[in-house]
Amino acid sequence: MSRKLTVILLVLLILTGAMGLKTLVTTHADGAVMMANGAAPAPPSPWKNGAAPAPPSPWKNGAAPAPPSPWK
Amino acid sequence: MPGPIEFMVWCLGFASEVAVVVCAIRAKVFKRYLPLNLYMAASATVELLRYRILNHYGFTSSNYFYFYYYSDALLTITLYLALISLFVIVFREMSAERYVIYGASLLLGGTALFSYLVVQQSSNRLLTHFVVEMSQNLYFVGLVLTYVLWGAILKLRETRTQLIQLVLSLGVYFSLFAVNYAVRNLYPPFSPLSIALLQFLGCFLPVAWAYAFWRIPKDARLAPARLAVIPR
Repeated sequence: MSRKLTVILLVLLILTGAMGLKTLVTTHADGAVMMANGAAPAPPSPWKNGAAPAPPSPWKNGAAPAPPSPWK
Repeated sequence: MPGPIEFMVWCLGFASEVAVVVCAIRAKVFKRYLPLNLYMAASATVELLRYRILNHYGFTSSNYFYFYYYSDALLTITLYLALISLFVIVFREMSAERYVIYGASLLLGGTALFSYLVVQQSSNRLLTHFVVEMSQNLYFVGLVLTYVLWGAILKLRETRTQLIQLVLSLGVYFSLFAVNYAVRNLYPPFSPLSIALLQFLGCFLPVAWAYAFWRIPKDARLAPARLAVIPR
């Protein structure tokens, strides 16, 4: 039992250390993503415009499907 | 579109990934380091597919974008498993493989949960956010784990030269990327240089592992650097 608890403690320590290191490294990050597998050229960062969730469209009220255009 | 230098480095990276597998087969250690070789084989296959998609759809296409980030996440998980296999090899003599596998599964689950908690607020492209976040977090977990493994190797006075070379290469590889990433974030004027360096850094691990399999005999042992001092 004590061995299993030691493993759990080590896992939590490693996880905390890794996330702490990540926070330290990305303190001034501009949304850049670190990719580290292979030598292929990396495409532009997916979070180039910030990581904030997109606001709802200003022209949409409610979730109902839009009716067909009356001018068709 | 990438230029000729980028393509040349890309080809070098692909060739060295294939060389790792070929050298391992030649040195008859393919099965001993099976997860490492599978990672390299997967990496070479992904390189080919990335080239095909880049050629077909273009550098700025969403096809290349999605394939690049999703395949990178899968490769990071494979690299994590390869690293755990090195842990198993080191701790085999202590008969502690069961605990290593238990801890590794727990750590992978914990990282996935942490990543999900971070991205759960973003309703937009939740899966993509999760995949990229998970890949990044697992990368840093791998970095810390490599140093833990190196500490264990020192503590257990491991002498297998090939194993030590493999672990050290992994440590240098992880550290180079972390330093590059930190420089990129802390000093934005150096950002273009560090982005250009990324491809070169990507070649380091396959070259170092190919060297380890090619030049170092599988049963080579390091002589102990110093004798333990016992006070009288």
